Amino acid sequence: MIATMLGFAPLARARGLSRRSPMAAIGVLILALFVIAALFEPLLTQYDPVAADTTALMKPPGGAHLFGTDANGMDVYARVLRGTRYAFGIAIPAVLVAMLIGVPVGLLTGYLGGWTDEVLMRGFDAMRVFPSIILALAVVSAAGPSLVNVVIVLGVLDAPVFARLVRSEVLALRSGGFVESAVAAGNTLPRLLFVHLMPNALAGAMAQSAVRAAWAVRISTTLAFLGLGIQPPTPEWGAMIRQGAEYMVTGQWWVGVFPGIALILLSLGLNLAGDGLSELLDPRQRKAG
Amino acid sequence: MRRLALLAPLLLIIGFLTFALLRMGGQDPTAMLAGPTATIEEINRLRADYGLDQPMPVQFGIWVGHVLQGDLGRSWITNRAVLGELIDRLPATLELLLCGVALGALLGIPAGMVAAFRRGRFADFASRALALFGFSIPTYFLALSMLLIFFYVLEWSPPGMGRLSLMLTPPPRLTGSYTLDALLAGDGAAARSAFSQLILPVVCVAIATAAPVVSQVRAIVLGVLGTDHISYARAQGLPHAMISRIALRGAATPVVTFVGAELAGLVGTTSLIEYVFAWGGVGQFGLEAIIKGDFAVVQGYVLMLALFSVAMFLIVDLMVLALEPRAALR
Repeated sequence: MIATMLGFAPLARARGLSRRSPMAAIGVLILALFVIAALFEPLLTQYDPVAADTTALMKPPGGAHLFGTDANGMDVYARVLRGTRYAFGIAIPAVLVAMLIGVPVGLLTGYLGGWTDEVLMRGFDAMRVFPSIILALAVVSAAGPSLVNVVIVLGVLDAPVFARLVRSEVLALRSGGFVESAVAAGNTLPRLLFVHLMPNALAGAMAQSAVRAAWAVRISTTLAFLGLGIQPPTPEWGAMIRQGAEYMVTGQWWVGVFPGIALILLSLGLNLAGDGLSELLDPRQRKAG
Repeated sequence: MRRLALLAPLLLIIGFLTFALLRMGGQDPTAMLAGPTATIEEINRLRADYGLDQPMPVQFGIWVGHVLQGDLGRSWITNRAVLGELIDRLPATLELLLCGVALGALLGIPAGMVAAFRRGRFADFASRALALFGFSIPTYFLALSMLLIFFYVLEWSPPGMGRLSLMLTPPPRLTGSYTLDALLAGDGAAARSAFSQLILPVVCVAIATAAPVVSQVRAIVLGVLGTDHISYARAQGLPHAMISRIALRGAATPVVTFVGAELAGLVGTTSLIEYVFAWGGVGQFGLEAIIKGDFAVVQGYVLMLALFSVAMFLIVDLMVLALEPRAALR
């Protein structure tokens, strides 16, 4: 049961993934490449991503520098590789924070209903009045743009997505026989929620996690692009695109374009894998296709 | 209509939360305003001038009082009334947003329908792949890439520096859209320049709009095609065109609801595009105010966003009512 809870059993079925969903298989492949880049970055390049070389400023791609160098003479390829760590390092904790808040809230409001449910759901509705980027920008700029703050803010802003998903599952499960027998057997409320309901209500949330990670990458790089969050010369993709933006229309395109392409590929991989994951984990989606 | 009754408390709560967030945040605009050479006394005098030495609930009360009289305060950066600043910049944003969303919907809705009707074939695959790409590219990078390709490489487009060539004077303001105003004033050169400045940002908004619309419309139409009455229509041997028409009738309501909900979120996307193209609309203004900590502007901008969203949802409700009179019973 633990394995089902963590989503291992469905993942074991993923071996047939390439046959059933080639798009999802491409997504997983792209993700695997990024994971390799994040883990083995020092082996993949001879350059230090933050070492300035004043003898090689703004070199175009090719020769000694595969993706060229930026205005500080730093190797763009090494910086794009290192940026993978920032992307994963923000997105994964942010999604975990979102689930850690959203799943219990969804379980509780879905099971109890009543005014707590009403108040929280209206609160989430009110949050949707604002574009998420504006909300993230406002909160991060007020809280101070540190890495930890960005992760927490993204997690909190994304928690409603998971709360809603879990809540709707619980609403459907609440009247089920196994809930009634669990109550009759004298389970405490936390035990009922986390042991009996959660494993059955988690599929939708698990399926969404990759897509939400893509969202977290997009928002966090946008913050860095706007100059909030991580600052240059830290090799974070959004900050690199900010550095490259002014050179985009003067001919030194490589400073901004390579991190941009990495960003597109990573979100593409996450979105493709996420679609495949939801087909595997959520049989109802398979029908809607 | 229940939404309308909730509007006043919603705006009050949103106003208060923004207020609290800004005041509790790390930014202190008075120090910035007074300049680096200011003494502590000067900063304190400025704080008193702006009422920032009062307790927060008192400040909020004063702010609400002023808002009710139509006074949103003054920008600390441009030193002009916030309401005037917002109203001056609103047409530029609306022009961009409405043209972009219209173009995006015009491309996205048919593409989604074609994908659903030709499920599993090339058209389906192509439109889904394009939607996925549009969904994966960050808005600001899309805007930068557009400038790189169409301004720098191909030289088809003017640089992304505002709404009109710097050599031209803006036309007299009637609608607020430079293109329309220039046409109305009979100024051909200004109209051409304004229109060519408009194309790239509008295409960016359209791409950002179309991507989610394609996949959502596809899912909605597929859902409708699976219903009993479509199976019945098929079993009767009705012509293909007629079945499509019946399916579209059923898909209209959810599609309108979805596009309406998207529009509220697209305000954020549009402000990023404005930022890259230096469009000077209300989105860019609000974005920069948040980054610089221009409290009064952020406050007014947030209020305006909330009003815009509520208005959008209201329009969607009315359109649904017109499309489906049954909904009134709910």
